[in-house]
Amino acid sequence: MSALRLPADQPVRATAPAVAPRIGARAVMETLVAGGTSTVFGYPGGAVLPIYDVLREFPIRHVLVRHEQGAAHAADGFSRATGGVGVAMATSGPGAINLVIGLATAMMDSVPMLAITGNVPRALLGRDAFQETDIVGIALPVTKYATVVMDPDEIPLAVAEALEIASSGRPGPVLLDFPKDVLQEETGAPIPGPGDLRLPGLLRPVRGDVPEADELAAMIAAAERPLILSGHGVQIAGAVDLLRQVAERAEIPVAHTLLGIGNIDERHPLSLGYAGMHGWVHVNKAIQRCDLLIGIGCRYDDRITGKTSTFAPNARVVHVDVDRSEIGKNVHTELGIVADAGDLLAALLRRLPQSPRRDAWWSELSPWREMSEARSWHGSGAWREGRLSADYVIEQIGEATDHGATLVSDVGQNQMWAARYFGFRMPYAHLSSGGLGTMGYAVPAAMGAAMGAPERETWAITGDGGFQMTMQELATLVQDQIPVRIAVLNNHRLGMIRQWQEIIYDENYHSADLLGPDLVRLCEAYGIPAFRATRPDQVPGVIAAARAAPGPALIDFHLDEAQNVYPMMLPGKGLSDMVEGADR
Amino acid sequence: MTGNPAPRRHVVSALVVDRPGTLNRVAGLFRARSFNIESLTVGTTLQPGRSRMTVVIRGDEAHLHQVLAQLERLIEVIEVTDLTHSPRVELELALVEVDTPADPAADAALRALVARSGGAVISAESGTLQLRLTAPPHQIEEALEALRAHGLRGLVRAGSVAMATHPPGAQIGASTS
Repeated sequence: MSALRLPADQPVRATAPAVAPRIGARAVMETLVAGGTSTVFGYPGGAVLPIYDVLREFPIRHVLVRHEQGAAHAADGFSRATGGVGVAMATSGPGAINLVIGLATAMMDSVPMLAITGNVPRALLGRDAFQETDIVGIALPVTKYATVVMDPDEIPLAVAEALEIASSGRPGPVLLDFPKDVLQEETGAPIPGPGDLRLPGLLRPVRGDVPEADELAAMIAAAERPLILSGHGVQIAGAVDLLRQVAERAEIPVAHTLLGIGNIDERHPLSLGYAGMHGWVHVNKAIQRCDLLIGIGCRYDDRITGKTSTFAPNARVVHVDVDRSEIGKNVHTELGIVADAGDLLAALLRRLPQSPRRDAWWSELSPWREMSEARSWHGSGAWREGRLSADYVIEQIGEATDHGATLVSDVGQNQMWAARYFGFRMPYAHLSSGGLGTMGYAVPAAMGAAMGAPERETWAITGDGGFQMTMQELATLVQDQIPVRIAVLNNHRLGMIRQWQEIIYDENYHSADLLGPDLVRLCEAYGIPAFRATRPDQVPGVIAAARAAPGPALIDFHLDEAQNVYPMMLPGKGLSDMVEGADR
Repeated sequence: MTGNPAPRRHVVSALVVDRPGTLNRVAGLFRARSFNIESLTVGTTLQPGRSRMTVVIRGDEAHLHQVLAQLERLIEVIEVTDLTHSPRVELELALVEVDTPADPAADAALRALVARSGGAVISAESGTLQLRLTAPPHQIEEALEALRAHGLRGLVRAGSVAMATHPPGAQIGASTS
């Protein structure tokens, strides 16, 4: 049924050299394998061909993407879904530069990732050789670390250090650039052990008990209306269970940021919900009303706080983060604790007595919650009147997959609908470009997530705008038969742009309407089963059909085009000034 | 962000890995946060593979300390110390060119001025004198102001180097809030 011709297994070189010299390219791959790499997302080119020449010798699956941006996002998705270090590979010049948006995306969201680039031979560096670029210079501000490896004997140490830098402390992307002749020369340098790494400047969190937990425990004991705002750091630390135990012990409601989705099962009685610009009104009200706000592994970024001068006005603000430079960066904190989220939560658990139920606090929170859920699009039940609304689509995908799928959202309205309506229950199951807001992230990142966590069904939720930014990866999905289900929330516009122009720019629409291809016919051309829904009653059927496909599948949901994401905190406003929209 | 917005002069000392790209990364961080570097010196240390940077920068205290915490997290940066509030020696080298004094009295006045600034006359030829000044930056400023009367023709400044005197300066981020 595939319209694309799948390549047969490629013929292996008939006669391999009797004794293959241990060249730099082999040293790179050996060290990656020793470090646990199983999958590389890449795109070949002249400067990196020495690696492709030896790739078949190693137990590594290489996924040929259609654009290096796809490789970077796929590696990011692989990392987020597995907790490991995803690897992307590209050639010099344009190939390397195409990785950059993926590096910046991973940097903003603290995602461990390794980018490997080839470069021109050492003798040509700086001479404007064909496909030469200073990728290390370009990558510096958007990576945790970037360097060029100029000596073949340095390769094993450089690769092992890169993996360690990427994954330790606050994780982040690392780029290693290899001049082509460094990959071609022989080296006998051994694979280093953990004790061989030279990283005097790498900040490693002090592990073990966290003495500051005494003060925090006392603040919790003194608080009447405490609230936890939990972020990505909780999942990075693998501390989801500890978070729940602390919340239960101290009877503290738990709110989450976008990347904190999955920190707590949304059905848990202490789970309050998603906070921020498009978060739930009742969660934002709780932030404004609480007398103790405990931020754990979050950045207090502007999409959460709004105007910082009006943020959490009644609260003593606590900030726990593994990165010292985050503390006090955005909001004034009364208590800052530099620690791994898991260590801090474990330390708290040892100190906290069982709290009685906080009935007075809940008597405020519960009615807010009922009201804010009833006023949402979903609560309004527009789908019952035949309008195909995004909340209904997202909810149906959640129910069909028993809320157990990995859900990778893109950026814009689709991202907010996914965050609000899927009903998340598990960690590592919601992937999104939260910090950088990279449109085009969903499909390639879902590709990586599906390969990293094949035991879970993987869905990409995207708009018609973001989908068109990276839809070239449809061919990769087919060639490698990666079972990603793509839900395009198609409103034939750049929805969030149109929403801002409608609400903030007095309906002065410009560049908001978006022409796109017939997605079902597009998928036919790729040999991908595709379905369309224009009415709510079609939704369960198309979801079931997409799930039944053995490989990738796509659903084109033609949404009610008037649907906006409400509530909304207008730019420059605070959490108390949420626009709840018209009745829908 | 809280704190006094009035920019204050800060002297920051950083122990860094001596590798290509380190300077780029450090400078890039200040640039990204819109700090203008007043002076920056780099030199080797007693430890092989380690360099020390002395950075003089003006900025709001709280803002700068947040940037210094970001500086500390760079892989190439081993240790960051703000010497601003610590007892320290701070010196700068300046090479100066002035017109040769017209008469012995002016010459004597010039040489006395140079001596007060820890300096010396390095060379004298074809109508100009080249001077070396080694002094704390504010004394260099004062000397340069005084030298204008002697016909200031050229100036090259090295930027500050600084070293804590005991007790050592507080390490950045010693307090967590």
